[in-house]
Amino acid sequence: MSSTEQGTSSAAPAEPTTAPESAAAPEVPESFYYVHGKDKVVHKVSAGALQHSALIHGMISNLGYTEEQAKANPFPFENIDGDILQMVVDWCNQHKGKPTPPEDTNLPKQKEKLFDLVLAVNYLEIKELLTYCCKQVAMMVKGKSPEEIREIWMIPTDAEDEAAEKEAKKRAGKEAAGETAAAAGDAK
Amino acid sequence: MILSKYPYVVQKEILDNMNCSQLLMLSFVSKNMKKLIKSSQKNKFENINVIDYNCRTMSDLRNVHIPFNGKYEPVMYFSNNEPNRNGTFQLEVSGKMIDFQIHQRHNVLEICGYDRDKESVTESIHNYFLEFFGSSTKFNWIVMDIKEGLNHSFPNLRNVSLCVDLTCKKKLVEIEKLETFFSSSPVFNYIGLELKPSPQPCSPQSKFYQAESILVKHTSPNILRHFEGKQAYIQCDKWETSEDLIKLLNMWKSGKALQMLERLTVDILHGKVLKNEIFNKIGAKYIDATKQPPVHTLPQAYIEGYFFGPPNTIPITSHTYVVRQSDNRVASIHIAYNKMITFGVWDKTEEEFLKLVD
Repeated sequence: MSSTEQGTSSAAPAEPTTAPESAAAPEVPESFYYVHGKDKVVHKVSAGALQHSALIHGMISNLGYTEEQAKANPFPFENIDGDILQMVVDWCNQHKGKPTPPEDTNLPKQKEKLFDLVLAVNYLEIKELLTYCCKQVAMMVKGKSPEEIREIWMIPTDAEDEAAEKEAKKRAGKEAAGETAAAAGDAK
Repeated sequence: MILSKYPYVVQKEILDNMNCSQLLMLSFVSKNMKKLIKSSQKNKFENINVIDYNCRTMSDLRNVHIPFNGKYEPVMYFSNNEPNRNGTFQLEVSGKMIDFQIHQRHNVLEICGYDRDKESVTESIHNYFLEFFGSSTKFNWIVMDIKEGLNHSFPNLRNVSLCVDLTCKKKLVEIEKLETFFSSSPVFNYIGLELKPSPQPCSPQSKFYQAESILVKHTSPNILRHFEGKQAYIQCDKWETSEDLIKLLNMWKSGKALQMLERLTVDILHGKVLKNEIFNKIGAKYIDATKQPPVHTLPQAYIEGYFFGPPNTIPITSHTYVVRQSDNRVASIHIAYNKMITFGVWDKTEEEFLKLVD
């Protein structure tokens, strides 16, 4: 696996930023974790940024990894494309420790990218980002006629739905018949 | 982008971010989509208190709006123009094919050629709304200016109440005509009446008194003696005596009138009332002046959508109250500047009411 530490992208700070010195509270060093997507490119992300993801936060909360252990065991998300994971990491870094704004205008405008981002964000359980993405998906059909909505969201017609349902029933019937025949064969 | 590839939670989240007019538009895409909207948006639809049919005339729809989440959301428009733009399309609505286009300003569905077949189109649209938003949804058929006179009737549709504003300042409308109009119409949710010269009260059986909410200008408290609704606002031009009001409030106290009343406002334009005289004559009781009285407010029975008034009645905070003898129910009463009397009935006995005092 190539470990290029791309998480230190332009939007994300490479190292934890230093807070103003305080005589009272000793500073706790920020811990970092590593994630990679389908492209195996590893991103270094701070625990603070990863808090946005309920899935990853749940995974790391009890690990107590040292920096070396974390580096050696990146979390694999093989179902997420590398560029999509990069977007997610960037978003988490940008919104680390900040209240999330009511709108986010930096989401991808291309349909397919947005579609993949929604799936990734839903999988990683990033609630705020999912809400932004879903708002953006909803906006895509604003002021469109039913036929235009069908094209944008690729919604099947009633006839196509009926045909698919018939096909599914037929398949289920065949499978059931196959199982019965197999069971009868076993019994013999 | 294939919407059906998303898990249900994501589909629901997308639909949650769409307003009622967009969901309505989407429901025409396919039967399965309509099913998904109805199941995932059940909570949203249950929170719709009313759908407003704003009309040009008694039988002629102009647009449909839904008051929702503090907004007055346009849902559909009705145009008499024939479809002549490229963007027109047909949709099947409760078994009827109707021509539509997208309303240029509001981006919602707009019916074309409405007057070609308006009764049947209105019925199909109404049936679709009932089926889509839920069969218990209430509708207001709102006619704010009855230009064509009182001889027209409005379509008889399920769950629809009539809201009319009979503002006929320039015309003399005889009470007989009004009576005929009231008796020939079904349930009234709201009646606004502003007639000059001021009308005599209707006959005690008149449907006018059965309206849930009324607003009458140029009148006196006498007009409310037979009122069976919940909310009333009356405006009195002259005020020479408080006797009518005292009589009315004592009738409420004895349980002889205004039994369903929740809220009454009497606004006096000229003259003043004697606050203490009224309080003495109706046997008002007082909460200790050092304590904080409970605040009376409730949802408005009717909100004028176009101007979108506040959703709730103006709060009454008063140390003065009266108790109805028949069931021990309490009403807070407040007289502001000796000119505006507000009366709010609590769904509480005196004992329960006094527990609310801080």
